[in-house]
Amino acid sequence: MAGCCSCFRKKKSPKRKVTLLLVGLDNAGKTTAIKGIQGESQDDVAPTVGFSSIELQLDNFEITVYDLGGGRKIRSIWQNYYAEVHGIIFVIDASAEDRLSECQETLETVLSQEYVKGKRVLILANKQDQEGALDEIDICDQLDLETMVNNSKCPCRVETCSAIQGSGKKVDKSLREGFRWLLQNISSDWEDLHTRVEEDMIVKKEAQAAARKARLERARKAREEREKREAEERKARGEE
Amino acid sequence: MGLLELLRKLKASPSHEIRVLLLGLDNAGKTTILKSLAGEEVSKVTPTQGFNIKSVKQEKWNLNVWDIGGQRNIRPYWRNYFENTDVLIYVIDSADRKRLDETGLELTELLEEEKLQGVPLLIFANKQDLLSAAPPGEIADSLGLNDIRTRTWQIQACSAMSGEGLEHGMNWVLKTCSKPK
Ligand SMILES: Nc1nc2c(ncn2[C@@H]2O[C@H](COP(=O)(O)OP(=O)(O)OP(=O)(O)O)[C@@H](O)[C@H]2O)c(=O)[nH]1
Ligand SMILES: Nc1nc2c(ncn2[C@@H]2O[C@H](COP(=O)(O)OP(=O)(O)OP(=O)(O)O)[C@@H](O)[C@H]2O)c(=O)[nH]1
Ligand SMILES: [Mg+2]
Ligand SMILES: [Mg+2]
Repeated sequence: MAGCCSCFRKKKSPKRKVTLLLVGLDNAGKTTAIKGIQGESQDDVAPTVGFSSIELQLDNFEITVYDLGGGRKIRSIWQNYYAEVHGIIFVIDASAEDRLSECQETLETVLSQEYVKGKRVLILANKQDQEGALDEIDICDQLDLETMVNNSKCPCRVETCSAIQGSGKKVDKSLREGFRWLLQNISSDWEDLHTRVEEDMIVKKEAQAAARKARLERARKAREEREKREAEERKARGEE
Repeated sequence: MGLLELLRKLKASPSHEIRVLLLGLDNAGKTTILKSLAGEEVSKVTPTQGFNIKSVKQEKWNLNVWDIGGQRNIRPYWRNYFENTDVLIYVIDSADRKRLDETGLELTELLEEEKLQGVPLLIFANKQDLLSAAPPGEIADSLGLNDIRTRTWQIQACSAMSGEGLEHGMNWVLKTCSKPK
């Protein structure tokens, strides 16, 4: 009887719609990692200079992951997504010691955003298959994670992994574990987090709509002016 | 609209046949890109009054690329070509910063079209050989790409003149198309 009851309850419990943000420097392995989780081919992944939205089902979660480009010149788009995500995955190429300070700066910027503060952050120290890759302790030390985390009040977890190791069922165990940690942590604080995201999104959407309107108005005006000018030029040339 | 029928005949085996729409303002470089991809001479391109179509074979795919004139009086005809589009390539002149907003306006209207919902978008940020080409972050802003959530987009810097970046862009197109929907 008890078993039946719990099974009934399980069925009734609604799927949680979770949105995650996948960021980190270019070449860190973000796209490779998400393809691994997704069970897609990881061959021949090209640098992302844009946005892609990936839908996943894991446990009782319906997950949407925003995979963004990490290159220096595209990084400015990240800020448009913080408000609507429940958690963040930050991927680091643990074998690229020469980029650690850029990494630290970038992570610090992410964590200090108003829309990020207090949210869960999974840090993937990727490319462990490479010689000399830093482990969790090195990463914590060298990025001075503790200070960052304390300032931002973001519950953080560092997971070492090798995203390229396999896809689907063969995906790196710690990668999957990291994902689970993130989801469970989000889940444990669901009511508050969900409310916060909904409220933030209303604010963000209003701002976005206003910016969009201003942009389009500016463009319409520019177009009209240009057309008027062109018509006058044609007239002057006697083409009318 | 004879060519629209031609297209239907071309679409024999859909899995290997990709329909790509090349749009953008006049003077962006669409025709030059198309010619360059087809290995043709690019020095004597004139404004397109109607459209050009090219079948480009690359790897095992057969791409049908439609290049439609971008002049203001032709833009209303763009919508005749929306059906069954697999990928939309939107070409911008990245050196013409004055028109970035205008090209963004045109793109925003385009992306609202029902037949183009969910269709992946590649931005060819063309004319990178010229000074003052805008960086991707700024392009994303001006084009309103940051509002998008329901389609994949990618910016590819290129120069149709030198051919640089075109292959990368087309590879992205092919890879994006070969994904199960
Ligand atoms: N050795 C090794 N290489 C990896 C690993 N993960 C990813 N790579 C490689 O690193 C390169 C970059 O991977 P991507 O997944 O494109 O990196 P990204 O973070 O998405 O980069 P951007 O899209 O430019 O921001 C690719 O050549 C991958 O094959 C790993 O665990 N080990
Ligand atoms: N410097 C430079 N000029 C380019 C490049 N690509 C195209 N152009 C020039 O830009 C002009 C317009 O190119 P087209 O290919 O005709 O442009 P389009 O987008 O097809 O224009 P419409 O047919 O009117 O819509 C031509 O003079 C080209 O030579 C480029 O990469 N660099
Ligand atoms: Mg990527
Ligand atoms: Mg043309």
